Amino acid sequence: MSVNLSVTLAGIKMKNPVMPASGTFGNGREFSEFFDVGRLGAIVAKTVTLKPREGNMPPRVCETTSGMLNSIGLQNEGLGYFLKHDLPYMRKFKIPIIVNIAGNTLEEYAQICRDLRGVEGVSAIELNISCPNIKAGGIAFGASSKLAEQVTAASRYNTDLPLIVKLTPNVYNISKIARAVVSAGADAVSLINTLVGMSIDIKTFKPQLANYTGGLSGPAIKPVAVRMVWEVAQTVDVPIIGIGGIMTAEDAIEFFLAGATAIAVGTANFVNPKAMVEIIEGIERFLSERGFTDVRQLIGKVRV
Amino acid sequence: MFQAKADVISKKEISPGVFSITLISPEISRNAKPGQFVHVLCGVQNDKFLLRRPFSIHRVVPGRAFEILFQVVGSGTKELSKVKIHDALDVIGPLGTSFTYSPDIKSALLLAGGLGVAPLLFLAEELTENHVMFYAMLGAQTKTKLLRYIDFKRLAKKTFAATEDGSFGHEGTVVALLNRTVHRLRPQVIYAVGPGKMLQKVAETADDFGIDCQVSIEAKMACGVGACLGCTCLTRQGFKLTCKDGPIFNARDIMWGESEVEQLSLDGYKYEAAEITDSD
Repeated sequence: MSVNLSVTLAGIKMKNPVMPASGTFGNGREFSEFFDVGRLGAIVAKTVTLKPREGNMPPRVCETTSGMLNSIGLQNEGLGYFLKHDLPYMRKFKIPIIVNIAGNTLEEYAQICRDLRGVEGVSAIELNISCPNIKAGGIAFGASSKLAEQVTAASRYNTDLPLIVKLTPNVYNISKIARAVVSAGADAVSLINTLVGMSIDIKTFKPQLANYTGGLSGPAIKPVAVRMVWEVAQTVDVPIIGIGGIMTAEDAIEFFLAGATAIAVGTANFVNPKAMVEIIEGIERFLSERGFTDVRQLIGKVRV
Repeated sequence: MFQAKADVISKKEISPGVFSITLISPEISRNAKPGQFVHVLCGVQNDKFLLRRPFSIHRVVPGRAFEILFQVVGSGTKELSKVKIHDALDVIGPLGTSFTYSPDIKSALLLAGGLGVAPLLFLAEELTENHVMFYAMLGAQTKTKLLRYIDFKRLAKKTFAATEDGSFGHEGTVVALLNRTVHRLRPQVIYAVGPGKMLQKVAETADDFGIDCQVSIEAKMACGVGACLGCTCLTRQGFKLTCKDGPIFNARDIMWGESEVEQLSLDGYKYEAAEITDSD
């Protein structure tokens, strides 16, 4: 019996609920050597900023128990380059393209949204208000419900595209932030971004990252992510993209049960470039083995 | 690049804590060039340690298998040292850039500190095949840690060794040996692999003598294929990716002081930084 994996998320029709987490997949080029990127439910671009960003000093990554820290610092070539070189390439996959954006200021978010108006092939905008590795913007917006609301409203005003807001887990009350961005016009939320962490080399007494702190990702953060998705699912009515340490189909299913409509895979892409394809196949297998006909039958079905 | 399940066909502990493993992969061995690396999954999914480990390709059996050389320095290499013959390892490769040389090159110098012999033996075999004359210079703390001396001796016009305790070859560091002999050997190009501090000094000497120098840079990596932007190296042209724009760089392009290469040691890809301490 065939199962239906397709979902609609904020108006974006996806043939399956699996996409990469922004920044862990480049813009698909490197991974297209390992599998047909067109098999994914959607592709999420690496964060684009208005102007090019060099990123942080190395070392930028370090491994930790069941996870890793990164402080890349949103290195990218800027919006102009993205529109000219990356987006046309991504269109070839013929799947929805979600453009993840970040700004130093409210105005920059608004400006990027305006510049993306009418651009062919953009299915949605994801606001990165949760990057822990940059000085201005990023997490500064995501950690305050007031600023999160303002940046969402400013972006909402400047775009008609579906608007996804990516939330940070580095807050006391994530539901409050979720409520704020939804009230400001977010069509969906994605969570979680990385948890701020630190690791120290006991041989040199120096932090492992040049930036001292970085974002923790990988299986280590999955329980936190599942809890937050579950909590936010109780709070807001918009669809949720579940993110955080998903390595396998079983991990993905936990997120569906917690209330996610779709999931994004991050760190697993570094470990196994074919992880997402294996997760799609694994979800399908799980559904048919358990007698389900549709992935949507799992969403929010945790028995509590 | 390929992702392969590669069968282990041989494993040897060539020196205490230093292992060589040969893996079957026609795709990787057919396409590999000296200086390139493979990214190896050393444990199982959701293990305490997660990421792949990069290893230089040490040698190839053309069209069939390739060999890696590593020292047990952390959890990943420890796990890898436990693999058994016929185990299959998940490997991605060949990755990164390779050493380059012009066809009319007359002489080269291959300089290795500690585990730096790993990519250089592959290069030595290729240079031999292409009738390029070269010298080899190997350095280690002590005789037992001097790796692949016999192999280089077989291939190179002359092989020099330096041990810090004087237990074999010249007493002192390989950099000191280089500085004493480079004017006599007059190589057109130096290929150097080893700890960052050693590379920096080799690069300075090469620069002083006006000799081209290519180095293999190491960095902590996550994806290894150019997507995560984690393994950046600071060059005169700005940030470059060690996994994709490197690991082989022109020594003149590296911003040595800034890039803290001596600290960027992911276990397994570490050329025994502690072993080659330069007293100069």
